[in-house]
Amino acid sequence: MPREHLLKISVSGVRGVVPEFLTPSLTLHFAQAFGTYVGRGRVVVGRDTRLSGPMLQHAVNCGLLAAGCDVVDVGILPTPTIQIYVEHIRARGGIGLTASHNPPEYNALKLFNKEGQFFNQYERNELIDLYHQSDFTQATNAEIGHVTADPGLAKAIHIDRVLAKVDVERIRRRRFRVALDAVNGAGSVMTPGFLVDSLNCRLDAIAIDPTKVFPRIAEPRPDTLGELAALVLKTGAEVGFAQDPDADRLAIVDENGRVLDNDDVLALAVQRALAVVPGPVVVNLTTSSAIDDIALAFGRKVYRTPVGEANVVETMQAVKAAIGGEGSAGGVIFPAVQLCRDSFTAMAFLLDLMAESGKTVSELVAALPQYVRKSGKVAFAHGRLGGLMQALEEGFPEAEADRSDGLKLLWPDRWVHVRASNTEPIMRVFVEAKTEEAAEALFATSWSLLTA
Amino acid sequence: MRGDSGLRISHVGLRGIVGRGLTAGHVLDFAAAFGTFIEPGRPVVVGRDPRASGRMAWEGVVSALMACGHEVIDLGVVSTPVVQHALQRLDAAGGIAISASHNTADWNALRFLGPRGTYLSTAEAGELLDIYHLRKFRFVGWDALGGQRFDAGALDRYIDDLAAVFDLPSLCGFRVVVDCCNGTSALILRRVIERYGLDLVLINERVEGVQFAHEPSTSARMVELQLGPLMRPLGAHAGFLFDVDSDRVAMADEQGHGVSEEMMLPLLADHQLSRGPGKIVITNLSSSALVDDVAARHGGRVLRVPVGRQAAMDALAAYRPEQIAVAGEGTGAVMMPQFRFIYDGIASMFAVLTMMKERGRTLGQLLADYPQYSILKGEVRLESPRVPELLLDLLASYPDGRIDRTDGLRVTWPDRWFHVRVSHTEPIIRVICEQRGTPPQELFETLMDKARSYS
Repeated sequence: MPREHLLKISVSGVRGVVPEFLTPSLTLHFAQAFGTYVGRGRVVVGRDTRLSGPMLQHAVNCGLLAAGCDVVDVGILPTPTIQIYVEHIRARGGIGLTASHNPPEYNALKLFNKEGQFFNQYERNELIDLYHQSDFTQATNAEIGHVTADPGLAKAIHIDRVLAKVDVERIRRRRFRVALDAVNGAGSVMTPGFLVDSLNCRLDAIAIDPTKVFPRIAEPRPDTLGELAALVLKTGAEVGFAQDPDADRLAIVDENGRVLDNDDVLALAVQRALAVVPGPVVVNLTTSSAIDDIALAFGRKVYRTPVGEANVVETMQAVKAAIGGEGSAGGVIFPAVQLCRDSFTAMAFLLDLMAESGKTVSELVAALPQYVRKSGKVAFAHGRLGGLMQALEEGFPEAEADRSDGLKLLWPDRWVHVRASNTEPIMRVFVEAKTEEAAEALFATSWSLLTA
Repeated sequence: MRGDSGLRISHVGLRGIVGRGLTAGHVLDFAAAFGTFIEPGRPVVVGRDPRASGRMAWEGVVSALMACGHEVIDLGVVSTPVVQHALQRLDAAGGIAISASHNTADWNALRFLGPRGTYLSTAEAGELLDIYHLRKFRFVGWDALGGQRFDAGALDRYIDDLAAVFDLPSLCGFRVVVDCCNGTSALILRRVIERYGLDLVLINERVEGVQFAHEPSTSARMVELQLGPLMRPLGAHAGFLFDVDSDRVAMADEQGHGVSEEMMLPLLADHQLSRGPGKIVITNLSSSALVDDVAARHGGRVLRVPVGRQAAMDALAAYRPEQIAVAGEGTGAVMMPQFRFIYDGIASMFAVLTMMKERGRTLGQLLADYPQYSILKGEVRLESPRVPELLLDLLASYPDGRIDRTDGLRVTWPDRWFHVRVSHTEPIIRVICEQRGTPPQELFETLMDKARSYS
């Protein structure tokens, strides 16, 4: 029986199908809990382009006002831009209404603290307790605040921070021919201006109408980016960029119309970042070993964390990382801009690498450390997860085991990582090795142990 | 009204002290119940008074209505009558006015309106309450959610409606002082001045959300306090004081005397009955007998119903509009058939000014035409279980009068009457008695003593 999570209140926030499961009432109360938690003062509220955004935003505004907060309404904006703005105006916190790469019937509340970062696990747990206790601040008429619309500063602040970390003139001189697919999401309102006005690119774009529904599956993956790949080939673009609906993630299409592996997108960004800022690298357990090779070349350390942006961000903050991210999820996190996933930084880094080296995207990828990766999903019944993990571990007694997020088994030249999804009743299996044969063998053995 | 936790959920809607009894959750759920109750797929008109909490409530109302698939036509900060007029003009499923009207600033309320701008009938209001209590709301799919648009023209269309009934330019000869109590009447009257050049002197005209210049109560005492000292120095012909929502109004005459709120209904009954065609005056059991005298003068008839807006709405529904002359309460809230029965203080003000012009008399002179009545009002805190005993006792004590038991007990004699009833909003009983000429002090004291003996 499929166990769809139509509503999930969890450490990543509140996510659900609107309005039947993620109801306006639940949204209001969660926002009021948030306002109670961060205290009276300004809270930034923005959203992606989902049809349910305005309805939910009214509920969020209502809850925040009821908690005595002032609402700064930034309207449709990329999630990283909202986060940067929270920090920039020294707000109490922020709420982003976006279900990121989930289908259009979903929406979610992303919660940001006063640094413009995702709530850490302690903050999240406190907030959820507060929500369940329903002991909210109830502002009286004299204490109720105002809703003000942001005059549009947020975009410029974000773009300036990104441009400060690349050689803008070098990029502008190249007049790159670029293709873009913004999935009619929040990137639609900012990415064309960023590429054309700030970086002097010649742009051909599809899906940049924020009033329209998503024209493709929201997650930018090789199988969803056919139109962008075709556009790249038709226009002779040097690179194609694809964003998810809230423009925190980026997928890249090379000049031949081939969609890059997300791990390679991250590896290229790490290469660029380590050349300009000091500090170690933080990635999740599923991210390619290519990162270790690159870090080694720069003499930097690599920290591994459980999967999840919040986990990566927490460790990055603790170790003062230069850069981090999650290869599997297509996220580049560059703290010198903001401690969050940011597709704009990823775009600028790639263009800067191309401008500096004079190489094409496919040439840059070919120069990366080469690994073969395989992945799959296994549905499991409740209660069986532990047994399956154990079977896998017993099947490979010689491997080094890491149990910080599911089970990762490591050898000097290969690894397998198995973990339960936070959002679906499935197990994800990832394998990486130096050669196709080794990857195929490890995947096959693991698969048979997990499906026995 | 003084309140404990300050939350009242009833047939009249939802009201309370924001943050103490009335929460954002109440507002959103009640609006969702309304979105479920009304005809699906059609727009809803929303307006609010200037209270700061109105923006909070508005956000919740809009969210809930959108989730139920209704487009929201937002009128911004306007009076409840403006919302009601807009509903008569627009093709909408209903409306919500966010306003606590004559209550102090810390209160707020949702008022629910039908597709023609009238308040809900008792049966409809009961159904709405049931949906609210069940909390089973009819939400639509993610791709069918309602949108929202702003209608900036509602105020002018409302003034058009007033100008179609009253010859506004002909009222330019009067100097009128108006206390707007920092509410929506200021927005309306500023525009009336711009359009028709009326000589209205507005005070407390800054629209405020938190601090009103004074309690927005439309009593004779308040209007005398606020406008009394201004009338003669300004050479004003009449003075009016509105509550925040401008649905209620109080008057001061040219000498600066506050006029009892009880006088508004008889005055407008006189005006309306003399114009015709309606012959019926609908009022409640607690309002002045003067209206009976006025009706008799014009061959009209007074229909008395239980106290409360609901009873008046239900009574109105039983007649054709052209049969009705006027409907109203002793609080000064009056509805006229020209406006399809909306409590509207602004319309009442223009009706009084029109009457002054047509009869060539000052407000003081107009009021002097009527026989003098004296009314006494009191209240006693009483345990609800003992109310029937008290009423039976009173019934046995006054066998000689005409008896009406539809709302507590009213006993009427040719020159005096009393009404004893339970308040809808507080655990008290109200005692009202009135007599032609001098105050019925002895009857009042006897009734109060009797009531107290059951407390």
